[in-house]
Amino acid sequence: MSWLYDWWIDLAQALGLGEAFQYPFVARGVVAILVLAPLLGGLSHLVVARRLAFFSTTLGQAALTGLVIGVAAGEPLDGTYTAILGFCLLVGIIMVYVRRQTTLPPDTVIGVFMAFTLGLGICLLVAATRRFNIHQIEAVMFGSVLTITDRDLVLLLALGGALGIVVAVGYNVLLQDSLSPPIARAGGAPTAVIDYGFVVVLTIAITVSLKVIGALLVEAMVVVPAAAARNLARSTRGYLAWSIAIAAVAGLAGLFISTAWRVPTGGAIVLALSVCFFVTLPIGRLLR
Amino acid sequence: MDAAVHLDRVTIHRDARAVVRDVSLTIAAGSIHIVVGPNGAGKSTLLSAVLGQTAFAGDIQLTFRRSGRIAYVPQAFVADKTLPITIGEFLALSRQSWPVCFGIRPAARARIAAILDRVGLPGMAHRRIAELSGGELRRVLIGNALDPAPELLLCDEPSTGLDHDAVVQLDKLLTGLRDDHGTTVLMVSHDRDQVRRIADKVSVLDGALKRTGSADEVFATSEPALREIA
Repeated sequence: MSWLYDWWIDLAQALGLGEAFQYPFVARGVVAILVLAPLLGGLSHLVVARRLAFFSTTLGQAALTGLVIGVAAGEPLDGTYTAILGFCLLVGIIMVYVRRQTTLPPDTVIGVFMAFTLGLGICLLVAATRRFNIHQIEAVMFGSVLTITDRDLVLLLALGGALGIVVAVGYNVLLQDSLSPPIARAGGAPTAVIDYGFVVVLTIAITVSLKVIGALLVEAMVVVPAAAARNLARSTRGYLAWSIAIAAVAGLAGLFISTAWRVPTGGAIVLALSVCFFVTLPIGRLLR
Repeated sequence: MDAAVHLDRVTIHRDARAVVRDVSLTIAAGSIHIVVGPNGAGKSTLLSAVLGQTAFAGDIQLTFRRSGRIAYVPQAFVADKTLPITIGEFLALSRQSWPVCFGIRPAARARIAAILDRVGLPGMAHRRIAELSGGELRRVLIGNALDPAPELLLCDEPSTGLDHDAVVQLDKLLTGLRDDHGTTVLMVSHDRDQVRRIADKVSVLDGALKRTGSADEVFATSEPALREIA
């Protein structure tokens, strides 16, 4: 990875960025954002189309609970992927199953799961902080570029690429199922597989993004880019392009704010995303 | 007579209440079979069960001899209509394997133009779904179901929101599918005139199946379930 750091330092110097921006961890953060933007930004327009915004919030909270379970089970704080992924997948799949089986409104079912994961997470967190300093968990809760390792970056690149290919291959059927499940089903689409499959993809994407965005804020990255893009887009193609562009711009802006003012990366990215949404809102009205 | 759809003692419950009770029905291949009945009679629910969207007791058998393609025109488009998707992109979803978010391929573009011509919406591929009237959206959904010609077409009140000319055009499209491609059409309708014009067989449903026959036979009866049919 040394070539990457050298390239970044040369670029930062050429752009006249201060010394704080010339460290390898900032280079790792930039690469992470450039991978996360198409991944989460791209997924975000499908999340909104499938009305899974609230669902994603619950997955983010489940990630916090998964983190604490991992720590309690003896996993290192900077390598709790297994517990987070396992718990989020379990919660996500059960949520889809219950939502498909019951006649209750989907937001009611998701609300129940959100309460459960949050309650469990808080209880376990209090127990875990007797063994760890709360500040050690803070980075995973709110995100920090300082904690990204070369291993995280390789994992992010590999999984991000694989998920991107999976979503691209299944994109048309996924969007058709989002628009009208009966039409998709009549055309032979396996709607149950799509329902569960998308949640698995979303869960993996959220898990690999946690170190940058943080467990409590990751849902913003899979909802706000699409919400802002919707103000500007006139077609599906534009919707995807705007979602990715907004995720990238807000991600890089958040990373730079976080580096310059030493605030949590996740929080800074979410603030930048929110600004994008509120700026595009009146623009969208003018365009219509 | 070859059966395309055979229902054997089909019962469908919703919230512990049987909305469709013990329905046995055979629909001939290459025919237009229309189900009529009052609101809440279970017509759409029955169609949904044939589609495999709704759980049921009993047996439903679909028999295919050609493509096996099923197409569906829903009564309501449940999607979020404000999604930024154009008519062309919507129709391209099932007409190309290339992800629609990366653009529409030339071959799909030509097919989409032909579909829109058939349903009376020429040159509207760039219009957004959100901008369409109820009637225009229904035409898009009908167009989506017509190409390629399905072996079984399920239509849930497809003439809702259409003006008279558009309904006549729809009749031609449906009879054309039956006559030229041998498509079996199973349809729910509230339009007595349309039923008389195109139905080979009519079934009256009011929870249970009340009667099946030709349109003239069915409408000649004083069946109470037919009072709401315009």
